[in-house]
Amino acid sequence: MMTFISPRLRKPAIYALAGVLFAAAWLVRGGNLWWVSIMALIGTAVGVVRMYQLGGQDTDEGARAGSRGDERQQMISLRSRALACNLTAITSFIGLTVAIALNAVWWWPFLVTLLITGYGYLFGLSNYGVAEEGTPDDADPERQTRSPIGS
Amino acid sequence: MRNRIREQRTQRGLSQAELAGALGVSRQTVISIESGRYLPSLPLAFTIARFFDLTVDKMFDPDDEEAGA
Repeated sequence: MMTFISPRLRKPAIYALAGVLFAAAWLVRGGNLWWVSIMALIGTAVGVVRMYQLGGQDTDEGARAGSRGDERQQMISLRSRALACNLTAITSFIGLTVAIALNAVWWWPFLVTLLITGYGYLFGLSNYGVAEEGTPDDADPERQTRSPIGS
Repeated sequence: MRNRIREQRTQRGLSQAELAGALGVSRQTVISIESGRYLPSLPLAFTIARFFDLTVDKMFDPDDEEAGA
């Protein structure tokens, strides 16, 4: 789906979608806080325009916002995401530990977040090729007999 | 790791932005590579070396730990 959207519009589109969903949630919730959804839509619109403008700038942030990062900018983004994930996992663990110690009822969101980050990490290891190194060539007995070093 | 990108670029009268456009990377990345803050991937290193008609080992010197050209 993303290939049909111009790179510069991808991040603003994701931001717009998230903002509309958030605003819709406030609207569905009902009550006298319906105006929060309007504020959320206004904030989203401002953010989308700002992100689109940023995407046109000749900076690292502009390249990230415009989804046109080169290998270095992608590496920076990847490291930042890894840091964010580490902080999320650490914070979740601390929150879970504190919640257990206080016998609080709000322990489970921390556990869910911790499990998601943990399983996400394991899925990443599996998906990105750990344990795909193959068999070492010296495990082949044919090759060992043919090796000039071995004879 | 020392590299000769800045030297080669200025010899050819190219700006960092022009080199970046030719290599298909951002100007900021060219600046980072020239200053030694970022080591390019092997494909990008080959692209850089080919652009300047040099070999990778002529373009990048692994024996010199000091960054920059």
